[in-house]
Amino acid sequence: MSGASPLPTVEGMIEARELTKRYGDRTAVDQLSFTVRPGRVTGFLGPNGAGKSTTMRLILGLDAPTSGSVTVGGKPYAELPAPLRAVGSLLDAKGAHGGRSAYRHLAGLAASNRIPRRRVDEVLDLTGLTEVAGRRFSGFSLGMGQRLGIAAALLGDPEVLILDEPVNGLDTEGIRWIRGLMKSLAAQGRTVFLSSHLMSEMELTADHLIVIGRGRLLADTTMRDFIETNSRAHTLVRSPEPEKLRGLLEAKGADVRLDARGGWRVDGPDAAAIGDLARDHGLAIHELTPAHSSLEEVYTALSQDSAEYRTHAVQSPHAVRSSRKEKV
Amino acid sequence: MAPTTLTTARAGFPGALAHEWIKFNSVRSTVWTTLATAVVPVLGAVFVAATESLQPDDTVLGGSLTASVPAQMLAAVVGALLITGEYGSGTVRTTFAANPRRATVLAAKATLIAALMYVLALVSCTLAYLIGGAMLDDGRYAQGEPLPALFGIAASFAVAGLLGLAVGTLVRHSAGAVTTVIGVLLLPSLLGPLFGDAQRWIAGVSPTSALEKLIQTSDATAETVGSLGPWPSLLLVTGYTAALLLLATGALRGRDV
Repeated sequence: MSGASPLPTVEGMIEARELTKRYGDRTAVDQLSFTVRPGRVTGFLGPNGAGKSTTMRLILGLDAPTSGSVTVGGKPYAELPAPLRAVGSLLDAKGAHGGRSAYRHLAGLAASNRIPRRRVDEVLDLTGLTEVAGRRFSGFSLGMGQRLGIAAALLGDPEVLILDEPVNGLDTEGIRWIRGLMKSLAAQGRTVFLSSHLMSEMELTADHLIVIGRGRLLADTTMRDFIETNSRAHTLVRSPEPEKLRGLLEAKGADVRLDARGGWRVDGPDAAAIGDLARDHGLAIHELTPAHSSLEEVYTALSQDSAEYRTHAVQSPHAVRSSRKEKV
Repeated sequence: MAPTTLTTARAGFPGALAHEWIKFNSVRSTVWTTLATAVVPVLGAVFVAATESLQPDDTVLGGSLTASVPAQMLAAVVGALLITGEYGSGTVRTTFAANPRRATVLAAKATLIAALMYVLALVSCTLAYLIGGAMLDDGRYAQGEPLPALFGIAASFAVAGLLGLAVGTLVRHSAGAVTTVIGVLLLPSLLGPLFGDAQRWIAGVSPTSALEKLIQTSDATAETVGSLGPWPSLLLVTGYTAALLLLATGALRGRDV
């Protein structure tokens, strides 16, 4: 294959098809299908307990799917000849033994996949751990542990990176560093798949979004489309006769809610229509502000929908089981 | 990245073995327990010879290697820790992400523990025998036959390590696995007398009794550990250890980590 081809190939693609994982009667991942492509940062977004970590373990072959399949570069992970050279992963900061030094941890991993030892020094340098390389892992802070996990992920110079909540425990400087690193890795044509439960983090890093809730796919779209489609316009309106205004608006089919800043938050008619309506009925308007909901709000609404579904499920015969799941 | 390195490099058995070796020698607890396994028989020989705490009918070999029985338990503990340590620290996921062929990883661990224990026990037990022989009065005790027994003794340490590894793989928790493995080695001879005539069947099949027969101690009588010879006993222990390892491999492959 010619290396100059800019087209995404199957090489670095992660493909999940109808991926399902049940633990007993708890469904952690529910018929999830998606494709993660090279050359961009794909954010894997969902509230805690949505099934992100389970999906990542399924990709890495650590857990076996109940049904469905997932491949990396067209192959199940277990069939990759030298996995660390194809896929770098960070599952949790606790992937190293407390009694072992960072250097030995990485040296062992390098040996397992026949990666030259000099790569260990390179990734230690890249992650800023050179000075603490000889120190035992138990003395590492959460942030240092996270850096070591990233160093291990980069060890095999892989085409695909799968990182579960990589900014966890990092300070502001560390978060900025990792953001830059992810973007530069994607710019090199690699596949970068990272999970987070924080929309604000994704907004700054990801080009593409896969959103899940309760193990199900909620959205698979570019960040821009996600914002445009989901970020609904609304209008903030204040009037000295708020109840009368609300009555009029609701008669027109608008969704009227009390805004946290005072006044009404109106979904439906735009600012002009609201202004005209008020004038037609001789109502005074003190403020009329068009606004867009932030991505954080959109995401919260999306994940609340799946949370609501959860609450409904409590009415069903599966109620006891589904409420038990939430604690896991 | 050069595609050639991708296709030629393989996370196979040699890589897994190198990985296991680095993991093994970079954690103090396993290293110290292993060293203790090697040191205990020698210290035991010095103690027994200095205090002359042998039975009159004992052999120099048997007396000198008295402490090889607890040392064999340590070998089994190291075998168990080799895998339970991974579950305890969470490195098991890192390990299987680096090499998803779990049977290969377990085979590497098995090779490491068996080779290590065989070599260490051979050196340590030979040394213990020589020290005991040098310290004890000539002719007062029967010498015993050190060869080829010492090779069997070393093998019994390797098998104990493998038994520990199999139990550790099945149990996954350090405390549970260590308790189980010590129980397996200790209880048959401890509880054997409660079973009357059946004692030789219960105590006789344990790894400990195979070792006792090999070191030709006077404790290893036909009444207590059965009339099965030392080598067939070793073979029996090796046999059920292999079966348990197969079971552990199956469990490891079928389980989520």
